[in-house]
Formats: sequence, C-alpha cells, structure tokens
Amino acid sequence: MKKRFDLAAITKSKLTWAVVAEVLILLVCLIVRPDFFKISYQESTGMLYGSLIDIVNRSSEITIIAMGMTLVIALGGTDLSVGALVAVSGAIALKFLRWDVLEYTTPGDYTVCSYALVLIVPLAVCLLMGLFNGLLIAKGNMQPIIATLILMVCGRGIAQILTNGKQFTTGYSPFRVIGQGSFLYLPMPIWITAVVVAVVALFVRKTAFGTFVESVGINRSASRLSGINAQLIIFIVFALTGFLSGISGLIYSSRIMSNDSNNAGLNYEMDAILAVVIGGTSMTGGKFSLAGTVLGSIIIRTIVTLVYYFGIASEATMAFKAMIIAVVIVLQSEPVRNYFSKRTKKRAYAVKGGIIE
Amino acid sequence: MSNPSLVSRRSLTSRIMNPKYIMIYATIGIFLVMYLFGAISYGEQGFTTLRTITNLFVDNAYYGISAVGMTMVLITGGIDLSVGAVASLTGMFIAYGTTVLGLHPLVCILFSLVVGVGLGLLMGWVIHRLNVPPFITTLTGMFLARGVCSLISRESIEIKHEMIDSLASWKIYFMRLQDGEWVKVKPIAYVNFNVILFIVVLIAGIYILQKTRFGRNVYAVGGNEQSAKLMGLPVGKTKILVYGFNGLCSVLAGVAYALYVKSGWNLSLMGAELDVITCAVIGGTLLTGGVGYMIGTLFGVLLKSMIPALITFNGNLLSWWGKIATGLLLLLFICIQKLVLGVTGHKKTASTKPIKE
Repeated sequence: MKKRFDLAAITKSKLTWAVVAEVLILLVCLIVRPDFFKISYQESTGMLYGSLIDIVNRSSEITIIAMGMTLVIALGGTDLSVGALVAVSGAIALKFLRWDVLEYTTPGDYTVCSYALVLIVPLAVCLLMGLFNGLLIAKGNMQPIIATLILMVCGRGIAQILTNGKQFTTGYSPFRVIGQGSFLYLPMPIWITAVVVAVVALFVRKTAFGTFVESVGINRSASRLSGINAQLIIFIVFALTGFLSGISGLIYSSRIMSNDSNNAGLNYEMDAILAVVIGGTSMTGGKFSLAGTVLGSIIIRTIVTLVYYFGIASEATMAFKAMIIAVVIVLQSEPVRNYFSKRTKKRAYAVKGGIIE
Repeated sequence: MSNPSLVSRRSLTSRIMNPKYIMIYATIGIFLVMYLFGAISYGEQGFTTLRTITNLFVDNAYYGISAVGMTMVLITGGIDLSVGAVASLTGMFIAYGTTVLGLHPLVCILFSLVVGVGLGLLMGWVIHRLNVPPFITTLTGMFLARGVCSLISRESIEIKHEMIDSLASWKIYFMRLQDGEWVKVKPIAYVNFNVILFIVVLIAGIYILQKTRFGRNVYAVGGNEQSAKLMGLPVGKTKILVYGFNGLCSVLAGVAYALYVKSGWNLSLMGAELDVITCAVIGGTLLTGGVGYMIGTLFGVLLKSMIPALITFNGNLLSWWGKIATGLLLLLFICIQKLVLGVTGHKKTASTKPIKE
C-alpha cells in the first residue's frame, strides 16, 4: 500500500514531469550524438569541455534571472522588465569600460573607469530599477504585468541613449573572466550561478522569507491581517529580480565583450517565466520550487542544444522549444495530472493549491 | 449595462458624463494636448496638415487591426502574446506562397486565416479546458508561430504579385474644390486599403462588443468569470471564440503589414504584441478584465503613433526617446487610471487585486 501511495504522489508532482522531460530529451541527444555525455579536459584553458557543461554554462543567464522570477511568480505576478534590464546593465558596464570611445582607440586590455565601478554601477542601477518596479507594485498597488511593462518598453531606449546608440567592444581581461573565464575546471558563469542559487535558496528557505512570499502569493489580504508586511515582501522580491538581471547582463556582455542594446536579453523574460513554469511553480502564485526552476532553465537550454544538433537554424529552435514546452505544460496541467492520479487510484481532487474551481 | 429604456430616458449629458467613460476622455484629452503641442511647435513644418493625421492611420493600421482583437482578449481578463508572431507568419505565408510557390495571394491569405484562427481557437481551448494560464499558452503559441516562420525562410522574401501591388498602391486621395475642379490637397493626403481594413475591423469590433450577446458575454466573463458561469453564460465558448477572433485580427494585421512593407521576414514585428497591449492599456482597457472600449483603443493607437510622428518632426531627437516617451505615457495612464477609478469608486479598480488573491 505504501508503495502505491508514493507512486501516486510522484505522478502528482509537477517536478516529476520536468525530470522525465529532461531525461527524455537527454536520451534523444544521446541517440543523435553518441558522444553527448563525453566530458574532456583541455590543458590550455584549464576547463572541462562537453555538451553537458556547455548546457549548464549557457543556461546561467536565464537561471540567475529565473531565481528572482520564481519569487515574483510565487507572489502571483510577472516581471516583464528583466530582458530590458539585462540590456541596461550591459550598456552601463561597457560605457564605463569604454568611456574613451569617442577617441576611436582600438579596444585593448584596459578600462577607462575603475573596474569596481564597472561592476557596481550596473548592478546598482538595475537594483534601482527593480526598486522602481517594486515601488509601483507595492506602494502604487499596480498590476505587476503593467508596472513592469513600463520598464520593458523604456529599458532598451535608456540603454540606447546611455551608449548613444553605439555598440562598444572591449578587450579588458578581468571583465572577460566573468563570462569566459574558468575556476576549478568549470566555466565562471556556472560558479556565479551556483553562488546566486545558493544565496537565494538559503535566504528563502532558511529564513521565513520564502514562507512569507508563498503566503502573500496565496492571499495578500489574509497575510497582511496575520501581520506580514506584504508591501515590504513585494518590494524586496522585485528589487532582487532587478539586481539578478543586472548580474545576468554582466555575464551576457562579458561573453560577447560588447554591448548590444537591441538583442541583449531579448525574450529573456519569456524564457525565465517558462523556466519557472516548467519547474512546477504555478502562475497563479503560492508554492514555488527553486530546484524546479533551475531544472526548467536547463531543460530550455537542452532543447536549444538538441535542435542545434539537428542542424536547424537558431531562430527555428523556437518551434521545437514551443512543441516540447507545450507537451510539458499539458502534462503539468491540472486536468491531466488529475487524470493520471485517478489512474493510480489516488483521490482525484486532492489538495488543489488554493484554486477554487 | 442596465435596462435599455432607462438608458435612453437619461439625458445626453448624464450619459456622456458617465464615469465609465472617463478613461476614454483622458486618452482623447492627452491626444489633443499632444496634437496641440505638435501644432504649436512644428506648425511651420506642416504638422497641422491633414497629411499628419492620415499618416498616423496609414503607418499604424496593422497595429490598430491587431489592437481591436487584443482589446477583446484583455476584456475577458486574458492576454495574447502570439499576435506579432502570427502576423509575421501571415506575411511569410503570403511572401513564400506568391514568390516561391507561385500561388495566388488569396489562397495564401485563406491558408493564413485557417492557421491563424485555428491556432487562436486551439490556444483558447487549452486556456479554458486545461486551465493553463493565458500568458504561458500564448507565449508557447508565439514561439511556435515564430519558429515555423523561421523554418520556412530566414531571409526576407519580397512579395511580387500584381494583385498585392495593385492593393498596396490603391489609394483614395483627399480632394478639394478649387476653381470649380477637384484637386488633391497639398501636401498629398490619402487613405489606402490598410486604413479601410482597420476601420472595417474596428467597426466590427465595436458592433460585436456593444451590440451582440457575445459581446455582453465577453464583458461578463472578464468582470467575474465565476459569476458568469453561475449565471449560465457560455464561459468556455466565449473565451475560445475570443482567442479565435484575435487570431483573425492577427492574420488581418499580418496582411496589412505585408501590404505595407511588401515583404515577408521571419523577424518582422518582433515585440509587436507588447506594443499592441500598450495601445490597449493607453486606451483605457484594464488588464484585470471587464473594462475596455474599442474607441479608447483607437485613440490609444493614435496616441502611441503620435510619439514617433513628433520625434520625426523634431528631427534632432534620437528615435530611442520614443521608447522612453511611450513608457512614460504608460506610467502616466496607469496613474490616471488609479486616480480616476479610485475617485469614482469603480468596483473593478486595479487596487482590489494588484497581485492575484
């Protein structure tokens, strides 16, 4: 009896389907490319190479943003501005690295402003923009989707104006380390992501903050009545998401050693939201899963990698992404999950996460 | 809303002063202020001529067509992110069909209609039956449409067909009587097929929303889905049909865009969905659902397209200021909405559910 109960609980869990999807995609990858799981060590760079590492490495930008997005979605909101903030962050960093660009010097291994400024100012500006979002939503009681739409529309314009519409390039090696360097055999972005995930997870799960977020997401008024400062929670979550977008922007611009206000972080908000949803956090708010989000982000990247293997153009990956995501989402949807739990003789309409239907 | 005989008995002024129209007045008011500003600043450059107004229509007809469908979706409390991608796909179908396959454009348009409306209905079904949030469903739809578009071609394809050429160059010039004969007004002002299409779709939208049972259902579902269901209204049918209608509008917008640029490109209309949503929000539609008028959307489109027009007349400003101005306009409107709805005690204020309860 106990075993059957466990099975039912597993089929009911959204995370299970995400794991199954990831394993299936990896298996397909393995069939297409028999050496898919091979990881080799390259002496010259001191880094491990392999498709798996590449997938994790390339998913870092989305994973970092998705950490904040998970909390935003757990509050029942969405943050559309993250992609624009990635562009802003990169634009400011490159502006500080290449303030002398008017003199048309070749991009060498130097920085005009001090390196600390290059790192701190973009993060501070993104934090401020996150605070602006939080201010509109927490104090102004605006719908998150509209409030963040403002910065989404403005953000790229601000990035363009900061850089005068130019695309700067740099060769400053400490800046290169962020996106292309390595540490203990692994690419730097993986370590940055690991630190971000660990810090957010500790902050959320080892303090009461995560519970507060879930509580506000499920019922804001009730949480306020039970003594939770809902405004402060919303404020912190949106500010955090802004800050994380800043980090992501630095990684992105370090990878290309340039700023690209038109394409940096394009559709990142969509990818981050998808990562969160694939990871099993409901768009209606409430319970969230950070581990699921990390997995979701990796799934998205695995799909993209898989499609590359088939030799299909990068823009066309969207179609395959859409199909696989559609399958995952349909499998995760309530009626389907209930159908499967019925099959395993579980109570059909068990706890339904506060959705009145 | 109430008994029609009661409404007709009320005096005209009290009907016009109805607080539910305040947002539309705000939109029209700000449009007039901006027009006045343009007339005073750039009067000598010909801002006050008829041409400025007709160009607002000619250059933004495809946004307008799409905004009509979007307004209806937003009124039901949903959102549709797939419109830009579906419009782009339509353009690609027409371009690929006529130029590469040698089909008649009408066949391509018919095919696009089947695909676009089919995708809309499918998304509506998924949203209603599988209970997947509209944001995620239509995001997947967007990825799918955009991906298929890229699979067809990654190059921009020129449309060469006499029917498309004649439709695109078909214009009605504004004439005036001079010395007993009709001459074109100077500078030349005209409306083309796209503008006619926009007006037709707009009138159809107004009729459906205000005069049909289906339109009433749309408002009821958006106002409170639970109550609508309890009243015995066909909630599911309404929601699915609304997404189908939006699919139709997206395809028509795609046709208009194809006529406007006479080519199909897989990356055209990137991010158009959020521009369209911005138009609707500026026009007074609430994203929480239940509130919105087509006339407001019309002025939202005109207002949003006024910004690039003003920047063009200025000549010194970078076009990116347009994005920032649009963002500020959005902020202004949300603030007005909060104030107005707060003062008049409208039930459906955004403040009652800023973050989903």
